[in-house]
Amino acid sequence: MRLAMGSFIAGAFLLPACIFASPIPEKPYALIERYCLDCHDSDTQKGEVNLETESIDWSAKDNQHLWERVHKVVNEGLMPPENKKQPTSSEREELSRWLDSTLLQHIPIAITPPRRLSNTEYQTTIQKLFEIHDFKLPVGFPPDAKYHGFNNIASGLTISPPLMEAYQNVASQLADSLYPPARETPKVKTLVAGPDDLVLSFSAATVHGDALRLVSRGNDSVMRSCTWPSRMEVNRSGTYRITVSASKFKPIKDEPMELEIRAREVAASDRTHVGSFRFLKTFEFSKESAESVTFEADLYEGQTLMFRWKNAETTHNPSEVSAHMRAWFERDKRMLAAWQHTVYPGQGVKERSGGLGSLRGLNGWNIVKQHLNDPDLDLSNATMDHPKTVALLKVLRTISGGRFNLADAICHYYHENGPALQLHKVSMEGPLKLVDSPQDKQRYAKRKRLFGNVAEEKTEEYFEAALHKFLVRAFRGPVAQETIDRYSRIGTTHWKEGHSFEEGMHLVLRKILVSPRFLFRSIPTKDTQQHQLAARLSYFLKGSPPDSTLLKLADSGQLSDPTVLKKEALRLMPKDARHDIMIKSFTGQWLETDRLGEIMPDPKFKFDASKIGMARLEVEYFFAAMLKENRPLADFIDPDFTYATPIFAKDVYKIDRKLKGRHDSIQRVNLSQGGRVGGLLGQSAIMLTTANGVDTQPVLRGAWVLENIIGMPPPEPPQDVPALTPDIRGATTPRELLAAHTKEASCAGCHKRIDPVGFVLENYDPVGRWREVWPKSKKKIDPTGVLPAGTDLKDVTELKAWLVKNIDHFGLCLSEKLMTYATGRIPNYAERKELESIVSLNIDREKGFQDLLLDLIQSKTFRN
Amino acid sequence: MKRRKFLSAAGISVALPALESLAASSSKVTGPRNFVAIGTYLGWHQNAFYPKETGTDYSTPSTLKPLESYKDSFTIFSGLDHRAPNGHGNWGNFLCGQSIKSYSVDQMIADQVGGKSRFPSIQTVAGAGEGAKAMSFTKEGVGLPMIQRPSVLYKLLFPSKADRARTEYLLRSGRSALDEVTADAIALQKSLPSSDANILDQYFTSLRSVEKRMGQQLAIINEPVPQPNYKLPSYDPITPNLQMEAEAIFYDLMALALETEPSRVMSLFLDGLGQVFSIDGKALGAGYHGLSHHGNDPAMIQDLITIETAHMHCLSGFIKQLQEKKTVTGKSLLDDTIVLVGTGMGDASRHSNRDLPTLVFGGGFKHKGHLSFDHNSSSSPLLGDLYLSIMQKLGLEVSEFSNANKNLNGHFS
Repeated sequence: MRLAMGSFIAGAFLLPACIFASPIPEKPYALIERYCLDCHDSDTQKGEVNLETESIDWSAKDNQHLWERVHKVVNEGLMPPENKKQPTSSEREELSRWLDSTLLQHIPIAITPPRRLSNTEYQTTIQKLFEIHDFKLPVGFPPDAKYHGFNNIASGLTISPPLMEAYQNVASQLADSLYPPARETPKVKTLVAGPDDLVLSFSAATVHGDALRLVSRGNDSVMRSCTWPSRMEVNRSGTYRITVSASKFKPIKDEPMELEIRAREVAASDRTHVGSFRFLKTFEFSKESAESVTFEADLYEGQTLMFRWKNAETTHNPSEVSAHMRAWFERDKRMLAAWQHTVYPGQGVKERSGGLGSLRGLNGWNIVKQHLNDPDLDLSNATMDHPKTVALLKVLRTISGGRFNLADAICHYYHENGPALQLHKVSMEGPLKLVDSPQDKQRYAKRKRLFGNVAEEKTEEYFEAALHKFLVRAFRGPVAQETIDRYSRIGTTHWKEGHSFEEGMHLVLRKILVSPRFLFRSIPTKDTQQHQLAARLSYFLKGSPPDSTLLKLADSGQLSDPTVLKKEALRLMPKDARHDIMIKSFTGQWLETDRLGEIMPDPKFKFDASKIGMARLEVEYFFAAMLKENRPLADFIDPDFTYATPIFAKDVYKIDRKLKGRHDSIQRVNLSQGGRVGGLLGQSAIMLTTANGVDTQPVLRGAWVLENIIGMPPPEPPQDVPALTPDIRGATTPRELLAAHTKEASCAGCHKRIDPVGFVLENYDPVGRWREVWPKSKKKIDPTGVLPAGTDLKDVTELKAWLVKNIDHFGLCLSEKLMTYATGRIPNYAERKELESIVSLNIDREKGFQDLLLDLIQSKTFRN
Repeated sequence: MKRRKFLSAAGISVALPALESLAASSSKVTGPRNFVAIGTYLGWHQNAFYPKETGTDYSTPSTLKPLESYKDSFTIFSGLDHRAPNGHGNWGNFLCGQSIKSYSVDQMIADQVGGKSRFPSIQTVAGAGEGAKAMSFTKEGVGLPMIQRPSVLYKLLFPSKADRARTEYLLRSGRSALDEVTADAIALQKSLPSSDANILDQYFTSLRSVEKRMGQQLAIINEPVPQPNYKLPSYDPITPNLQMEAEAIFYDLMALALETEPSRVMSLFLDGLGQVFSIDGKALGAGYHGLSHHGNDPAMIQDLITIETAHMHCLSGFIKQLQEKKTVTGKSLLDDTIVLVGTGMGDASRHSNRDLPTLVFGGGFKHKGHLSFDHNSSSSPLLGDLYLSIMQKLGLEVSEFSNANKNLNGHFS
């Protein structure tokens, strides 16, 4: 039975203790009185802890937390403090045993609390629900608060008026995208563009009086060969009547010049490949005087026309530029000599000062032309096998050598001398009739997919079918008839008030997306346990709402069957570091690699944003491999592999052997076990996030290891300890600095646990490279340390060895983090016990990480 | 004066430039209130930007010729930069300081002074090629999208009758249908176990608050909105070759926005790729980006300076309007506005990010002509120090920006 809780308003009122309270037996009471109450009685309440009571009201969550803490400090020997009288070990054991059994007796496995979707969940939910795969929360969307390191914890997921307003704005945008507001019928207009209204890009086109000349057939990117009107943008999709007038300029062949016309988006990137734009027509022009052609074509909103001379003499295409020039040089020695003098002005094959870049476009051609016009042009080197010719033809093939720059200059020869295709006038009349753009058609098709293939009519029957189909997905489970009726009523009422079909749907959508049934998950209503499990499983493993397979299994009540659940968990198991959200999201929060974006390493480390990105990818690829390959948990600490680009492996991990593959592509790198490199503790991303980009702080690293690897988080500093500035004069190394720090008695208790673990990692600098001396003092680093349980450590390899030997600590820690992430709550005492037994079974039976995850999913902790 | 009210085209967020803030501005605030940042992607050619002389008695370098008549209203800074690595990728640190994608100075200002405006900040771009995707970055390092179409900015600033009718429709229909949502939430709450009955409390509070706000918005929706006497062209000049045209319109709209106060913080990014400009009827020899890689070739540099001078010509139109327009307190809008003009690219030909050419206009600063610093000296000030002086002038209590922690107040205040 679940008891009514005062927990949400912690301590605000007390239930009559006699109803729920269970008395503390005599023996433990005596121990508490003897060793604890000096400081923690109701008068002193040191650290706001009051243990003076004869019975414990277990229905109060605060009491559960309090006595869990007591168990932890007794068990781990943290209390009483060193300067107070100490219990014997049998007394300590006795108190610990009583606390263990009484906690288990009184704290049941909890129930996953209802909570709103986290921002990440909300984003992926919208992506899936509306099939908008690149949907991103708008800039300024109120951020989630982190709670216990995770941003999807129920207690951190509050709803505020600004958030509600942001939900409303997003809902409105989504409704607009499916049911855009009606628009007026446009008037038919004629737009005209002369040569001055056409875009000149690079050396593709030039204007000469009433004509614009095109000279290159290059199809690599439109900016090198095409032109398009700059003030002629279609603002309604429709059929337009297009007239183009063009002529030949100084043709050298009889064959007609082919003008290719495509439709391009005005705002598209000018680097786009010609073939990416929709082909409309090709026309042939055979005269040197202007001829007009007229045709009709559909153009869509945002588009204009684009023109290219399809059979031009010259080109920018990589394979053709050099061949074109070779043929020219073979027949024209003067041209070859002029180019040689332009590109290599001196004796040897040395590029002109200023580089090939300065020969771009007209400037390059003008220099070539000066040489051509020079009556004394020296032709003595103008042979095809001369080194300058060979070098010239080579740079015309290589992009870095300036193939484009020189090809641009060559264009100007044609602009001046022909042959060129001339455009005189372009006009566009329309829209003659409106047409659906591809976006319009996609929108209609999507409406059918979301709401069913039912006729879009203003009827209740429409809603009956449409909402039934949509709400099951939007609300992630069965939807009661009264709920369907309610949302249907919003639409039908709106229609009755004289609004259009689209307006009715727009309004219904806006409201569905602010309903608590959409915004909240794990709402414990009747009959939805299976669906809650489906949602929990899906958000956990995929970061997104349950798909139709899961929903069907939940409908039929089969999902909770352990075999089915396992099969589904395997199906949804994250596999790919690049695409599975869970990997980035979970590691980012557990290992705090989310913080990497905020860390800016000091320039002296030469560790830029791309290396930070690589460091984060290493963690994610590593985690994905651990899961996919079902590796033993010990491999998290001391594996024989990691992932890195060759350049990163060499720079950060000093892996000097030659690795296969491109220097900047991420790959698996084999390591030998037992060393410094490999495993979470040595990874660059971890060393980055536990430092500040400038120097290392052993306290941060120590606390991080205790919290995230060993699972013995140091207690929060008590609230009544004042912030202090320790006397650090004379300290020259971090160790001395901290020694000064921990002289303060009130800090020493915890810092004696934290700092010695941090020191072991001092050999890693703030970006994770290995170092032997401290940068400022130049003193040799002393990496010795001590674990809370008293084990001495020589350096990080011993810490890793200890963790591997005691892998249950890490296993439990990882399991707790996974379950926190999955259930949105911190596992309580009973749940930790359950996780403990799952972990020890995993280790005893030599199972792997994937097995662990599957077993966790079968646990009561997850399923409740 | 009449209390002005504005409506957002998105139809949801509406803020009133509060009477109090206007009153406050006339009584206690004397410093400037607005900030505008203008940055080019391809730098400014230093030799044509920096005068040979320092101080006020300099002969105007060619790029700055169009600004000659405003000499007393701006200061030229040479030798300032962020001490950041070189490379095109680092252009984006212009407003960010040493690291790209970090909290930019305009957003710091917007977060402090922009809150009372309808738009805390506005970002625009002219001549979009392939440049940086953003010039302004939030505290979280999110790059802010830039408005490319003048018509879109116009619609935001001055919603038409039809825009407002749509807003009103969305508010009215949305508000009346909220009843069903509330009823649904209550039904849901009733089905919860009693222990969880309070999980929807925050939801209900927020819903009520949003409903109330919709009511407030509806109450003022039909009050008159100033409509400027300004005619946009029938097309949006978004092809890169129409950069100067777009630029001039954005300057006009920014001046109107500062005058009518829907925003106090704005930026304009001047992008550049292969567009070949025709200036004064003559097509230049290569595209903008090609010219920026001039390799010290005099002919290419000449064309590049022609482009940069054209940018300054557009800018002078903006400065002129700011000087002529008056605030409610009677001072010129230029005195009330700090205009920062610069770039993250010191020398585009070499992709060097040192020694960034910078201008500061207006803002009530005592202008100093040409202030020159030695960027090779380690003790020399940073561009961030100038940003600190700018922020302090705008009334921000700030002493650190990126890698800068001094200010230039000793030289410039």
